[in-house]
Amino acid sequence: MTATPLTETPLPRAEALRPPEPAEHPSGRRNRRVDALTATLFVSPAMLAFFVFVIIPAIGGLVLAFFEWDLFGVPVFVGLDNITRMFVDPDMWQALGVTALFVIMGVIPTIIVGFVLAVVVNSNMPGVAAWRVLYFTPMIASAAVAAIIWVNLYNGRSGLVNQFLALFGIDGPNWLSDPTWARPALVIMMIWGALPIVIILYLAGLQRVPEDIYAASSLDGAGKWRQLWSMTWPNVWSTTLLVAVLQAVGFISGSFEIALIMTDGGPLGTTQSLALYSYKVAFAERDIGYGSALSLFQLVLLIVIVVVARIITRLRKERS
Amino acid sequence: MHPRLYNTLRYALIVVCGLVLAVPLLFMVSGSLKSAQEINAFPQPLLPETPIWQNFADAWNYLTPQVIGNTFIFSLGIVGLQLLISLPAAFALAKIPFKWTAVILTTLVVPMFVPANLTLIPLFVVTFQLGWLNSFAGLIIPMAAQCAFAILLFRQFFVTLPPGLIEAARIDGAGWPRVFTSIALPLAKPALATFCSISFLTAWNMYIWPLVVAPNPAQRVINVALAPLAGGENSVISPAIGLAGAVIAMVPVLIVFIVLQKWYIKGVVGTGLE
Repeated sequence: MTATPLTETPLPRAEALRPPEPAEHPSGRRNRRVDALTATLFVSPAMLAFFVFVIIPAIGGLVLAFFEWDLFGVPVFVGLDNITRMFVDPDMWQALGVTALFVIMGVIPTIIVGFVLAVVVNSNMPGVAAWRVLYFTPMIASAAVAAIIWVNLYNGRSGLVNQFLALFGIDGPNWLSDPTWARPALVIMMIWGALPIVIILYLAGLQRVPEDIYAASSLDGAGKWRQLWSMTWPNVWSTTLLVAVLQAVGFISGSFEIALIMTDGGPLGTTQSLALYSYKVAFAERDIGYGSALSLFQLVLLIVIVVVARIITRLRKERS
Repeated sequence: MHPRLYNTLRYALIVVCGLVLAVPLLFMVSGSLKSAQEINAFPQPLLPETPIWQNFADAWNYLTPQVIGNTFIFSLGIVGLQLLISLPAAFALAKIPFKWTAVILTTLVVPMFVPANLTLIPLFVVTFQLGWLNSFAGLIIPMAAQCAFAILLFRQFFVTLPPGLIEAARIDGAGWPRVFTSIALPLAKPALATFCSISFLTAWNMYIWPLVVAPNPAQRVINVALAPLAGGENSVISPAIGLAGAVIAMVPVLIVFIVLQKWYIKGVVGTGLE
């Protein structure tokens, strides 16, 4: 919902944090004062906006989790009540389970399919560039557009998914209203939506794999499959880790718009992730404090994932 | 395998996989022109027998010109405001010697890793406290303020400008504002293309923020108007009309994407990943 969702946000390069080269100061101190004044003027509008709408909400999210508030009355400090309430809330446990299943069912297929498709489309043959655009089309469908399309594709009576299954004699379910199938249906759709970014990231990764290792292994008699598995795949490992983290974050928090529009968390809460639950608590039940506590819990989950990813990176570095 | 046969097979694979990924969007276009009978039939015909253009007229009743206008105000407002505040900040952080540069950059980077939905509630509270619910200010300003990505993108570009160019202008007596507007900005076109395409597409596709901040019809944007047309199996509206609405919603997105595709993807991959 911000202008820069995480999956579309390039990670800043380390050098981006380095201060700029000191410029020449043709006339000393007066210039330095002008520099400081101009710089302040140039950065203040952005910093003011950033402070009010990024920093304050970030801190506010932490603070609100310790209050009970319906947005209109006076916030009441309740200490850890919202936190302890989470652990005895069956809806929270169900939402946590849904979130975990989204991540488990979503991340690994996204990585595998994204990698394979990137390898497929990573070709310099003439005309491929035009076809490659097709691979990026899911990215430009908004949640609402994607929802309309996929509600139709999943329709139990006339949807194309069930028609396709009927070709093999399979009688498909009413995907989105079936408690067993609603979740996989949403995950498949979210994978579709996530693939373009993953393909783009892997394409960038594949271009860094040195060409000569393929030539060398061809001489040694390695086939294409062998090369793909023992050379290409290990060489894009850092991309895989990045994709895994981005997608885990995406499946935890990003795609709740889709569930909100298509199933509203149903049937029987089977598609109500933590993100959707916290949204509903805050905006439908007007329980700002508990909603914030649920958001905070998600943040903790994300931090755990990032820390685990860092540990894995470090372990791999030590081994090699 | 014979290299020519291999190439042919490879090409076929590229095309087939691409088409599979594009099937939902192709279905959207084809379904938007189907009659109510055709889209509810089993088996559903892949293409409509005669295109029903009336679906678009019906969808237009839900996605009124006002909704489209609102969405343009919303999206262009975000893009414009972000340009206005981010470009000077990025330039200062790249080229003007300033002791706070490192501090500011760190402050910008850290919150980027917090997903938007986690700060949705407090951001809504701030906007509510400012009295901006159901206003374009509430729609646009809080989203435009998420400007860390814009600042870092532009800064990375400005950093690459040769220092000699700027020193020469400074020695010739040009003030920083002059250097910024006459030298840095004209050279920043590639970065502008990247940023504008990403920012516009992101804003145009936003759903949750407009939904919670401006539910009133007067500021309703396209995705908020579109979502109810997803309907589901018991909807009274023909699914074809919903699909026609989806097509309408995608037209500006498609135009921007096709024109600025190269820049958009460059920006998504980001300069930080290699």
